[in-house]
Parts: sequence; C-alpha cells; structure tokens
Amino acid sequence: MTEIMGMSQVNEVCEALKKRIGCEFVALALQNEVGPDVRWHYASGNLNDKYKRITVRFGKGVAGKIISSGSPMMLIDFPNDIYGKVTDHPIMLAEKLVSCYAVPIFFNSLPKGALLVGKREKYTFSEDDQEMVQDAALELEQILQNQNIG
Amino acid sequence: MKYSASRNQIGSYIIQAQEEEIKRISLELHEGVGQNLFSILTGLKLVESGINEEQYKNYLHEMTQLIEKTMQEIRLLSVELYPPALITLGLLPAIKSYIKVYTSTFGILVELSSTGEEKHIPEQNSIAVFRVCQEALANIAKYADTSNVKLGLSWSNCELKITIFDFGKGFQKEDLEKNPYALGIATMKERMLLTGGQCEISSKIGEGTSIEISLPI
Ligand SMILES: Nc1ncnc2c1ncn2[C@@H]1O[C@H](COP(=O)(O)OP(=O)(O)O)[C@@H](O)[C@H]1O
Ligand SMILES: [Mg+2]
Repeated sequence: MTEIMGMSQVNEVCEALKKRIGCEFVALALQNEVGPDVRWHYASGNLNDKYKRITVRFGKGVAGKIISSGSPMMLIDFPNDIYGKVTDHPIMLAEKLVSCYAVPIFFNSLPKGALLVGKREKYTFSEDDQEMVQDAALELEQILQNQNIG
Repeated sequence: MKYSASRNQIGSYIIQAQEEEIKRISLELHEGVGQNLFSILTGLKLVESGINEEQYKNYLHEMTQLIEKTMQEIRLLSVELYPPALITLGLLPAIKSYIKVYTSTFGILVELSSTGEEKHIPEQNSIAVFRVCQEALANIAKYADTSNVKLGLSWSNCELKITIFDFGKGFQKEDLEKNPYALGIATMKERMLLTGGQCEISSKIGEGTSIEISLPI
C-alpha cells in the first residue's frame, strides 16, 4: 500500500464517521501492496503514534480476526469481554480503548483491511452505529479501488 | 528446611517440564509445520506460473498469500513461545529477535544495549531470564502507557545484570495486593530465585517502573 495519509477523501470519510457516531478514535488497516503485512495506514483521534509501528497479526486482535474471517466484530468492555489474551489486542492497549466496532474492507471480494471505530469507555454500538460504519467502509472501498491500490 | 527444599525442587521441576513442552511445540511449529508450508508455497508458485486462465491464476495467488501470512504468524508464534535463537545463538540474539516482534506487535520502541562481553549461560537459566523479560515487556504493553522502553544488559565475570525501565505511569504496591490473581510479578521473582539470581521491582507513579534482574554466571 502506498502512502494514503495525504488522501483527503479517506480523511473526509473517516472524520465524518467519527463525528456522526461520536466516537473518539477511527482507524483504517490495510494489507500492503507487496507481501502479507497489514498495517494501520490511517488513524484519527490517536493518543500516540504506536499505531504506525504496529503490524496487524493475522487472525489476532480485532483487525486480524476480521481480515481472516471477513465478518464484523464488536468489543463492548475491553479487557473484560474478550476470549484469549489481553495482549492479543495491541490497538486497544495502545489507544486505551474500552469498546470498538470494526468491519472488513473488501478488494475483489476478499477481506484486505479493517475499518475500526473505538471509544475509551464501555459502550454497545447500536444497529444505527453499525450501519454507519458499514456505509463508510463501502465508501472507502470505492475510493481505494479508484486509486487502484489494495 | 527439608520441606522448603523439596518444595523448591517441585517448583523447579514443574517449570522445567513446562518449558520442555513449550520448546517442543515451538520447534514443531518452526521446523515441522513451517517447513511444510514452505514446500506447499513453492509448489503453488510453480503451478501459478504455469497457469494461463486469469481466474485460476488469481485464485492461486490468493492462496499463496494466505500461506505466506500463515507462515509469518507461525514464525512470530515460535519466537514468542521459545525463540529458536535461544538454543542456537544465545540469550542476547534471542532478546533481540523478540524485541523486533514486540515492537511490530505493540508499537512500543525498545532501546537495547549490552555492555561487557556476552558469556555462555546454561539454557535453563537463559530461558528463565528470557521469560522474565517477556513478562516485564508484556506488563509494559498492558499497563505502562508508554512508547519507549530501555532494556540494558551488563555482563561481568561472575554476573549478568539486566535493567528494564519503561518511563510509564508506574504503580503502587497496593495495586499488587488488589488483584490476588496477578501472579506475573511473583512468578518473575520465583523464577530468578530458582536460578540463584534475583529480581527487584520498583515503581514510581508518573515516572515509570524498573525491573532489575541479576543472574550469577
Ligand atoms: N510496567 C508496569 N507499569 C504499570 N503497572 C504495572 C506494570 N507492571 C505491573 N503493573 C501493575 O502490577 C500488577 C501486577 O502485575 P502482574 O503480577 O504481572 O499481573 P497481571 O499482568 O496478570 O495483571 C498489574 O495488574 C499492574 O497494575
Ligand atoms: Mg503480568
């Protein structure tokens, strides 16, 4: 994946989503153009720049599970509602998130990324919230496909 | 006295038996499963290059990517479980390769330094030191709220000293008593005692936590 930080369209979609849901953190993980690595290419509302150094591990954590399974995922009360180890959730730890909802980003009908919204408090994302994240993910898929990256 | 000696022996035996088992699994993943996946990958790439139909070519390409991801995860798992470098190259290279995995997993930078000449340590002791460092780093990722860690090894003729400092939020002794199931720190101390060494922890709210390990050589 080439540098997408400067892509104002991605920025716009994520900021709009953050405002509409009223969450504190939004981030986008995508598989690199070369090799199997998945990284956080975009984040807003971040407390530090750890996300830039994190490589999402396949099948682990929210983003890793979404990319291996292709289905959305929600955490309501991290670390109390997880199955497995706390350390399997680096982005939750790095950003001190307590709840999150994330959906896959598809390219050629395969999950190649994840869009995640998070809060630093206990929270259950409503059906409406979930739909908004899903809509934003579809928009992002369009934008990224037009950029011909992914 | 007699009772406590045998209790120590049992503790030591349980830890050793567990380490042997983890080592077996780690080697099996690295050399068994990992090698097989590599052979499958090589085979699939060959098939991919010989196929002309676009549809099957794409499908095969996705399969090879999935295998690459799985191989990478197995490599990382084996470094976490029981670093192959600990057996072949020793403690310092094993810590180095673990730190790489740690930074790419948690985004926390670790500044590693080593002074003095690296000495040979029996595997049973080097795995104990490695586990203590691993637990200390895991605690930092979980609780310290920091982006930087310093990990320093200092070797002398008769002793290895390791200091880990996290510049994080720190904690109070009372935090330890609040959670009776938190056995990480207790286990770190116990492990070092079994090697004849020590593990001291000190922490200041707002300044950070330091772990000092010493191991007689
Ligand atoms: N590096 C650190 N920074 C801040 N707090 C820490 C650190 N290491 C440990 N702690 C505190 O000490 C407690 C006990 O740690 P530990 O014995 O490893 O148990 P656990 O990791 O299972 O909670 C933790 O719950 C935490 O409150
Ligand atoms: Mg611990």
